[in-house]
Parts: sequence; C-alpha cells; structure tokens
Amino acid sequence: VDCSTLLYSPGQLNMFFSKRTFVQCLIVSTYTSLVLFLIPWAAMQDSVRGDGKDVADYQSFAMLTQTSLMVVVSAQMFLDTHYWTAINQFFLLGSIAAYLAITFTFYSNGLFFMFTSSFPFIGSARNSLNQPNVWLTMFLTCLLCILPTVAYRFLHMLLHPTITDKVRHKAREEGQPAPAPYRPPPRRVSTRRSSYAFSHSQGYGDLVTSRKFLRLKRRPSLLLLILSNLNWCSGNFILKVATALLKGSLGKSSC
Amino acid sequence: MASSYKDEDGHITVSGSGAAAGAGGGSLRSKKPENTAFKQQRLPAWQPILTAGTVLPAFFIIGLMFIPIGIGLYVTSNNIKEFEIDYTGVEMSSPCFTCAQNFSWNGTKPCTCSVPFHLDQPYESNVFMYYGLSNFYQNHRRYVKSRDDSQLNGNEESLRKPSKECEPYAKHGNKPIAPCGAIANSMFNDSLELIYNDPNGTKVQIPLTATGIAWWTDKHVKFRNPGAENTNLTVVFQGTTQPVNWRRPVFQLDSDPDNNGFINEDFIVWMRTAALPTFRKLYRIIQRRSNVHPTLPRGNYTLEVVYNYPVRSFEGRKRMILSTISWMGGKNPFLGIAYISVGSVCFLLGVVLLIIHHKYGNRNNAAEISH
Repeated sequence: VDCSTLLYSPGQLNMFFSKRTFVQCLIVSTYTSLVLFLIPWAAMQDSVRGDGKDVADYQSFAMLTQTSLMVVVSAQMFLDTHYWTAINQFFLLGSIAAYLAITFTFYSNGLFFMFTSSFPFIGSARNSLNQPNVWLTMFLTCLLCILPTVAYRFLHMLLHPTITDKVRHKAREEGQPAPAPYRPPPRRVSTRRSSYAFSHSQGYGDLVTSRKFLRLKRRPSLLLLILSNLNWCSGNFILKVATALLKGSLGKSSC
Repeated sequence: MASSYKDEDGHITVSGSGAAAGAGGGSLRSKKPENTAFKQQRLPAWQPILTAGTVLPAFFIIGLMFIPIGIGLYVTSNNIKEFEIDYTGVEMSSPCFTCAQNFSWNGTKPCTCSVPFHLDQPYESNVFMYYGLSNFYQNHRRYVKSRDDSQLNGNEESLRKPSKECEPYAKHGNKPIAPCGAIANSMFNDSLELIYNDPNGTKVQIPLTATGIAWWTDKHVKFRNPGAENTNLTVVFQGTTQPVNWRRPVFQLDSDPDNNGFINEDFIVWMRTAALPTFRKLYRIIQRRSNVHPTLPRGNYTLEVVYNYPVRSFEGRKRMILSTISWMGGKNPFLGIAYISVGSVCFLLGVVLLIIHHKYGNRNNAAEISH
C-alpha cells in the first residue's frame, strides 16, 4: 500500500469538517468563555487591593479579563504547536511580550496627555498587575481552560491512538535517525564512445538520420507556432496533416 | 509537443518547438529551494508529545501545588475581619426609615439618622471604611461614557466647552457644568460618622482620614484642577455651574486645598466606575493608634448618617462596611475555595488517568503501523 493513500483517509472519514467537530469546537469555546468571565467575576466580587483601594472597577476588571484571555490563547497555541523551533518560540513569546508592551504603552501617562479621551485607561495596568490577587486569578483561569484539553487529548491518545501518534511514539523510542551521510556528487563518467564502437552493433542509423541527437537550436517559425498553439488534439484533420508535414522530424506529438 | 527532461544535476532543459520560454530553450534556473536548514525545515526543534511520563506527573504536581495555595488563601481570607450594616431604611423598624421616605431633592435641612451596631471582635491595624451600593449599574455603557476626561484633567477649553459625551449633563441654564456628565452628577454624597460608645458612658468620635483613598495615578496624573497651582478655585471655576444633583459646587467639596476641586478624593473614587452592580468604594481610613490598643475595640458603636443619597427609586441598597486588609485584599474566600477544589479535582483526574493508562495504555506500542 502506498503511503500517500493514507492522506485520503481524513477526507473519506470526514474527520475535520463535520458537524461533530463543529459541536465539539462550540462546546470548548463556550466553556472557555464562561470560565474567562466567571472566574474573574467571582474573584473580584467585593474585593479590594492590598492597600485597601479599589480593584473591582471597570477598567481593572477589563484588564484582568483581557490578560487572562491572552494567556489562555497563548497556552493553547503552545499546546497545538507540534514542533517548537526557535522561530516559533520567538513569535509566540514575542506576542505575549508585544501585548504587555502595547498595554503598558496605551495605559501610560504620555499617551494620556496627548490624546486624553482616547486613552482613558491610564494607570489601570500598573495598579492592577501588581496585585498577587490578580495574578492568582489569571493562573487559575488559564489552568481551568487548558487542563480539560490536555486530559482529553491524552485520553484520546491512550485509547484511540491515530497513526501519527503511533509513529511518533515509535520514533521517540528509536531516537532520531542519523543524518544521511554526506556523499559527494558522483563524478560524471564519460559515456562518450567513439563511433568505431557503434559500428559493431546494430547501429544507430535511425537515430542519425532522424537528426534527433543533435541539439538543434532552431527557432520555430511563426506559422508553426500558430499552428501548434491551435488546439492540436482536437483540431481538424487538415490542420493535423499540415502541421505534421511542416514539423517533419521534430518531436513526438504529445496527444 | 515540447519534450523536456531532467538530467542528473537537476537542470531542466527544454528542447523542440512550441516552447513559450524564450529563444528555443537554454537551461532554466533550478526551482529547487536552497539546501539550508531554514528552507528545508530542518531547524532544531523540540517535539512536545503528551506521554504518560509528562502528563501524569504534571497533573499530580499541579494538584499538590494548588491545595496548599488554596488553604493559605482561605486561611488568610478567614483572618480578615469584616462588618457590614445596611442603612437604607426600607423596613419600618429601621432608624433611617423616615429619612428614606421623606427624601426630597430641594430639602434645605438634611435628614440624619443614627444606626447602632456592635462589634464582637477588636479590629487591629488600619481599618478601612467602605460604602457599598447594590443594584447600581455603574457599568452601563452610556453611563460609563458620560464624562469628559480632558475637563477633569484641567484643560481650560474643555472646562468652558464640555464634550458631547456629557449630554444631557453638559450645560445647565446656559452655563457649562463642571464636572460634566452623568457619573459626576450621581456622586455619592452621604456623610458617615462613627461614634464609639464607651462602657462608662462617654461617646468618642473616631477620627477618619479622608485622603489616601484614591489611586496615586488618579490623584496626581489623571485628575487636575484647571488653572495654575495655588490659584483660588472659586475664581478658576467662575462661569461654570455645579452638577444638577449636587448640593455644593465642586470648589467647596473640602476646606483642604489639596483635596478640593477635581482632585477631591471622594470624587475621584466615585469617578472610577465599578464593574459590577453590587460594589463597594473606599470612604475613609481609620488609622491605627498604637500597637497596644486595637484600632476599634470591641463594643457598641453608632453610625451617624447624613442621608442625602436616594436609592429607593431603583430598589438599591446602601451599606457601610468596616474591614481589615491583608496582602490579598479584602475578605473573599472564593479564590481559596477555588484553588482547593481545582487542586483536588486535578489530583483525582491524575489518579483516574493513571488507572486508565495502566489498564489500557499499550495501544501505542502496536506493531502494526500500516504502510
């Protein structure tokens, strides 16, 4: 069985774009959304900062929820990436860093003084992200969103391993194959033989007379170009004959 | 028609007629990508695979880590002392019932009521006094937008011409309102005082600190009084009028010039809109006196209320909360309980997965990987 036929099986079994997959996706998203709102809501109910001031205000709550969302999404991307290369990690960790940089920039004093009504969230990042309460809530939210996915995938791999899983498992046990040894490109052995040798076998009379072995750099005539670009395969009989006469010994027809 | 073949070096050579590419076929450049690690996808990579050796210990470690954290949070929360008293005056037996019933906007004489309460435990260290409102949606979108941050930052132009977002609380009788908007208009204006009833009969008024209740960034960066430093605020705010529901203009909020005008801390705390319909805002701080005496000893107290704020029309409730504070904030057992439950569920899940792995986990080693 040719390996490449396995590529057809997801399509035949309708594995990736079926109603079942859609409903599964919907359930996971609903669960994640509910967790992302309800956990900060319950944690911020009637709570205050470590120095007694407000932390349950609209801006801090929004800050907490959006940062939790960023963390959860990044964690899910980490889970879904099969090969962690340097470039991958640069972009994944870089996006978290970029989010923090942009957030602190948007909530900074400078932008507030320049565009006052557009950046009213000044101070929210500084004042909410230095609370251990907030970080503990974020950690809890992230774990609650990620652990069910991990548990489900692990169970799936245990009970119904796909072929990919089996191959990976095997490859992991056997270790990485050694890289192919470097072979210098083979030197061309000259295949030219003298025409004296030809004369002892049947000969290449046909080849010579057909002039095929000569790499003729002949510019095709305009007429030939036009004729051959006409629908050669389904052209009418007269066209075919005319073109054949003109082309003569050149090439086999490809139909 | 045109025959092409690839010789050993990978060069594509085209011979014959009909070749659209150029003057009768020289050799084209190779289309094969370069043999670098980046382009051939051979970068050194780590492959995270969910094996039993990684997932199961992870579940157990998370379970074992979360349970002590949860216990710590729960114990910390339980050690915080909190006292709450509702003084809306809805029931007939409540001391503030008459004030609640007789509320009128144009009343000259403010209504006062005294609510007695008893503290069972002494409160040490700084005690924070909050006012709480219920069923008050400070997170309503149109309400949240109804403010002018430029005006509150001391911008002279915005003082005379408030932004359109403040409508319909931007002008009153042809004069611009300072501060404009619905948030400022609905500012909480009850006055609360605490009196300790000594066992030998004397009434001691407890000193309340009104500064240091707002965020530093709010007080020093976001909110500024218009005009230069140390100018008379009455002069600066001339030509503007107070919000419709206020009894005093903004430059008479406090006699302390550092707490007057837009930088009044009660005003700043109110302008930081709450996220949820039941919220509490810091009102005053009771500073601790000494390490020997508790800040609020056990005993009988009286809460003196100057009842200015009407909440009956939207079935809201008002309450006063006294609370001590820890590193994790006020009394909120949710995080502690959540961590303990998530930790135990994780641990149980780890055990279940371990059992399943032990019984059924050999399917990965199946030799038949069909080729």
